[in-house]
Amino acid sequence: MPPTETKPAKKTGVKVPHTMTERLLILLSRYREASIAVVAIVLVIYFQFGSDGGFLSPQFMSVVLRDTGRLGLIAAAEVMLMITGEIDLSLSAIFSIAPYVMALLSVTYGLPLAVGALIGVLIGILVGAINGIITVRFKVPSLITTVGMLFFLQGIVVSIYNSQPIVAPVEQPFNAIFGQSLYQPSDALLSWHGITAFTPFLWAVVLVLVLALVLARTTFGLHTIATGSNIIGAREIGVRTDRMKIYNFMIAGGFAAFAGIINTAQFTSADPQAGSPFLTLQAIAAAVIGGTSLLGGSGTVIGALIGAFVVASLNNGLVMIGAQATVSDIYLGAAIIAAMILSIQVDRLRTRRRV
Amino acid sequence: MNSQAIPPLAPDAPTVLEMSNISKSFGAVTALVDVSIKLRQGEVLALVGDNGAGKSTLIKILSGFHQPDTGTIVSQGKEVRFASPRDARAQGIETVYQDLALIGDLSVFHNMFLGREYHKRFLGLNLLDNRKMREQAQLYLDTLGITIPSVNSTVDLLSGGQRQCIAVARSIYSSPKILVLDEPLAALGVRESAHVLGLIQNLRQQRQVSVILIVHNYNQIFEVCDRINFLHSGEVALDASTADTSEEELIRIVKSGLGSRAIDAAAAEVRPGLV
Ligand SMILES: Nc1ncnc2c1ncn2[C@@H]1O[C@H](COP(=O)(O)OP(=O)(O)OP(=O)(O)O)[C@@H](O)[C@H]1O
Ligand SMILES: [Mg+2]
Repeated sequence: MPPTETKPAKKTGVKVPHTMTERLLILLSRYREASIAVVAIVLVIYFQFGSDGGFLSPQFMSVVLRDTGRLGLIAAAEVMLMITGEIDLSLSAIFSIAPYVMALLSVTYGLPLAVGALIGVLIGILVGAINGIITVRFKVPSLITTVGMLFFLQGIVVSIYNSQPIVAPVEQPFNAIFGQSLYQPSDALLSWHGITAFTPFLWAVVLVLVLALVLARTTFGLHTIATGSNIIGAREIGVRTDRMKIYNFMIAGGFAAFAGIINTAQFTSADPQAGSPFLTLQAIAAAVIGGTSLLGGSGTVIGALIGAFVVASLNNGLVMIGAQATVSDIYLGAAIIAAMILSIQVDRLRTRRRV
Repeated sequence: MNSQAIPPLAPDAPTVLEMSNISKSFGAVTALVDVSIKLRQGEVLALVGDNGAGKSTLIKILSGFHQPDTGTIVSQGKEVRFASPRDARAQGIETVYQDLALIGDLSVFHNMFLGREYHKRFLGLNLLDNRKMREQAQLYLDTLGITIPSVNSTVDLLSGGQRQCIAVARSIYSSPKILVLDEPLAALGVRESAHVLGLIQNLRQQRQVSVILIVHNYNQIFEVCDRINFLHSGEVALDASTADTSEEELIRIVKSGLGSRAIDAAAAEVRPGLV
């Protein structure tokens, strides 16, 4: 058939008039990381003035960034799961159990920390696999699967060693690589010890960037998004949606285990209560504040890391400028709800334009 | 433009697909009972039937999305068992599903290449070759005469008809041997319908592609199809050649055989424009 006759002329189609608010929301949806980064900067400026310059001191930053690191790792892992349409509430328990096993193996069998850490991460990945398999094979909502797993693991970790914190030995170069104590007043910023105070955070940055690359530039990332965006359609076209979910549960478990290990390395102590369920909830808050919707199909791990910084800044900064520790929860709660409202407005705009 | 007669199928055209005695139930719902269909090379087979007759279920078995309870599939002379749509696609069977199977949050070009992405090596990593996929998608859509605002926009932002065009384009990109289309014209305008029917004709004539076409509009069936299978309550109630049957005759057969409910449905189906 002659092409001149049959060419469908369709240049129009997506031109929808927008109001000012809609335009703003579209802008926000396009640059989610940027908008949360603006919030973070405003917060830093506020605390910096409120604390007479103490907030941005290396010593205080090493605390904020330590919290950001462990929270950011868990939040980023949670984002991957949220993209597939799942969630994992057991990550705090993995955060506790992995370093506990590492420290226990070191103390009782003299196993090098590096080996113990590897075992810990493998345990995290295994737990993630179990969470994933239960969720996809038996069609248990992941919310339920992982709450069950949370109690199960918490029960195990407190029964292993009478719930006693273990002092983890310090080994070099393990601790230099994965963290050794916070920034001391005596440290110089560019000294070796000064830099290693930030290694846990740097690890988090590197791993989150890797995850961002995986999400944006690999088949794995593409299929992860496809799974959460349209699971039936993805399956129809041949995406292995069950596997994608299980793999992302495994990533989450591994990340949570690693976060626990760098946390223990820095504290040189493994506390079975280190990760309260509150940690997971804060991580989910960070993910939401960072711009990830709960609808599945989209999300940003870099946003989650910045969101983790916002949460960590609120937690520590408010205390620093003299507020009660509990006050930060008020702000955090408000921030979560505000972020959710914004996120849903943005999503609604997106779906409204769906035909 | 579409009034040209369908050239007759070569008498010695080999059978490329044979689905035999396929049954499928979903719990208490029986979707298919002992259905057999046969497809020859270069043949366009129309699959028609009331809503809920089991058409989509049958083609989802062929595409590997569902597994049949009983029955066999023989493709290119050997028996095949598709555990997933990947297997069927690997065998050259491409499907446009009724729901289109497009991913709303992904761009048009990612959708086009989902499941068979192009990669490039970068620092030893196997990364997506987005540039290549973008260019190929644009080039291919241009060749097919499908115009969309941008291959970069997410599928969410396209109209229903545009999405249908993307799904059809995706299915023929990999030069399938068997093309399965589940109501590919449902959301298309008159021009676009004619365009897609023209594409089917071309594939059939130039590349000897075999096509299974599910469509509710009898005019369109007589435009492009060699043969017609009428599915009723999960069974093949009629297998006729379009050359030997006139449109009126077909409708009469369908009416007379199948009670008043089917008559109404058939009458609704022949009303032009009502798809
Ligand atoms: N996944 C499923 N689970 C349960 N029942 C199903 C499923 N898919 C199809 N069915 C049932 O099987 C029967 C056949 O459905 P099918 O979608 O194949 O019909 P159809 O001929 O394609 O109809 P339509 O013209 O409306 O698209 C229906 O009764 C439907 O309810
Ligand atoms: Mg159907």
